[in-house]
Amino acid sequence: MHLPKKSISILVVLAALIALPWWAGDLYKLHLAALICAYWVLIGGLNLVVGYSGQLSIGHVGLLAIGSYCFAILAGTHGVHPALAIAASGALCALCGLLLGLPSLRLPGFYFAMATLAFALIVTEITLAQGTLTGGGVGLAVPGFAPPFDTPRGTYWLILAIAVLVTWLTWNVARHTWGRGLVAVRDSAVTAQAVGVPVFRAKLTVFVFSGFTAGVAGALFAVLQSYITPDTFVFDLGLFFFVCIIIGGRGHILGPAIGTIVLTALPEMVAPLAKLGNFFYGLLLLAVVLLVPEGIGRVFELLIERFRPRRGESHVVKPDLDRLAKAIEQGRAQ
Amino acid sequence: MSLSARDVTKRFGGLTALAKVSLELKPGEVHGLIGPNGSGKTTLLNLLSGYYRPDGGMIAIDETDISDATVQKRAGFGVARTFQKPRLLPTLSVLDNAMLGGWRDARAGFLSTAFCLPQVKADELALRSRAEELLHGVGLSHAINRRANLLEHAEQRFLEIARGLAQRPRFILLDEPAGGLTPAEIEHLGAVIRVMRESGVGVLLVEHHTDFVFRISDRVTTLDVGAVIKRGTPDEVKRDPEVIRVYLGA
Repeated sequence: MHLPKKSISILVVLAALIALPWWAGDLYKLHLAALICAYWVLIGGLNLVVGYSGQLSIGHVGLLAIGSYCFAILAGTHGVHPALAIAASGALCALCGLLLGLPSLRLPGFYFAMATLAFALIVTEITLAQGTLTGGGVGLAVPGFAPPFDTPRGTYWLILAIAVLVTWLTWNVARHTWGRGLVAVRDSAVTAQAVGVPVFRAKLTVFVFSGFTAGVAGALFAVLQSYITPDTFVFDLGLFFFVCIIIGGRGHILGPAIGTIVLTALPEMVAPLAKLGNFFYGLLLLAVVLLVPEGIGRVFELLIERFRPRRGESHVVKPDLDRLAKAIEQGRAQ
Repeated sequence: MSLSARDVTKRFGGLTALAKVSLELKPGEVHGLIGPNGSGKTTLLNLLSGYYRPDGGMIAIDETDISDATVQKRAGFGVARTFQKPRLLPTLSVLDNAMLGGWRDARAGFLSTAFCLPQVKADELALRSRAEELLHGVGLSHAINRRANLLEHAEQRFLEIARGLAQRPRFILLDEPAGGLTPAEIEHLGAVIRVMRESGVGVLLVEHHTDFVFRISDRVTTLDVGAVIKRGTPDEVKRDPEVIRVYLGA
């Protein structure tokens, strides 16, 4: 009874998202939806790093910038096909993720965060200094996607498709053995070791993956901006990605997705909030951390648990020894 | 086939926690390890499971020296353990916690998992049924889908054992598994340990409840101030004047 309900709601949401160009009203809202999807491509990958394996990266804006410039330079300056340029952006940022992760993922939490912060700052300086390549402070114009994705609707659908793909990939990782291993790395490294999870390699793997999605997101983001300068990639943006996940809840996928939508859309839709800007983010973050430290995702879980019939909460341990013997012997025979 | 510590020495700064201690754990036996607080029981367990490296002597499986093998590698050699203070993943379900023990048996890599290839499904089904059987076996049928942070202390202890068994170990090291259990729960624990022994698993039992250890162990080793003072059958150890003097009391 439960599974079909879930699939139906997923299909309904998907249909609504695909049909968005017809009910969104104006092009600005469509642009905003595409921007949310582009952010989500990055945040979805980052979620495995921050939400699941518990590594506090606040510097993914640096990877976003590299992805954006890579796309702008390849597709714009050199006329490479946009599809190829997107893939190249992802690959380059995966490599950057590897180079950044190799030394820094061995650092304890706070120092790792500082390393990613430093990385983001360095990227900004490099984009300013390498003027011949990046246009320096003046920036670069970014070409659109190739037809049929060169219209606002086409652009939206392409970005939506990539966002859905990233969601599916991360969901697959999260609900299988890898997801449990990552949560073990986050909550108890000692346990992770005891069951054989290679802690550093697991962290590095998801970090490289998040680099790839950040690079792809950079390409999509650049197209939506249509013109990029070093100022496009302010450090606040890196914090924003991080905050979306914390507000959404660690160890969830839906929560951070909702966090991304709310934090991107609310300031745009509600004019007074836009003026408040960072104050609004700060207030929301404070409210979540104080009231529901486990994030929006946990609130949903609690609501679902509310509506489920409660069985008598037994706590009595009663071993079934024959079954245990069989289970152990089966395991040893394998 | 056995897991052994041979003349192992471990120092922490100026303190010698273990001095030339030997212990052999055979498959299909329950080996009790007792001693006063600070006698080095947990240190020895950490050396056997790989959290510490010995400063002298070696840790071996059969004749292979594994002193430098990481904790993860030792899990691969079939060494599982539980912790004095249960270390579970509080936000995951009981079933997920038990399935975590099967990490090494999941053959699918990161990318295969991300694309949900058929191998991933197969791994998942096999792990799930193994974990479920073990959970029913250790007596957690009632809590399989509960979040682990909602478990009571005894349930946490039994879940740690189920996770250890999900690793399909040849040896399981239990660090004070009876701590905080009621007499009835200790009886259940004893029954579970006997089943492990009969299935050919070697069980190292680090424990303060000496009655329980003497009742259930095939052999007992007693430590005091980092050295073995007596090893033998429970009866021999129980009657040893030195053991009575430093630990059991008259």
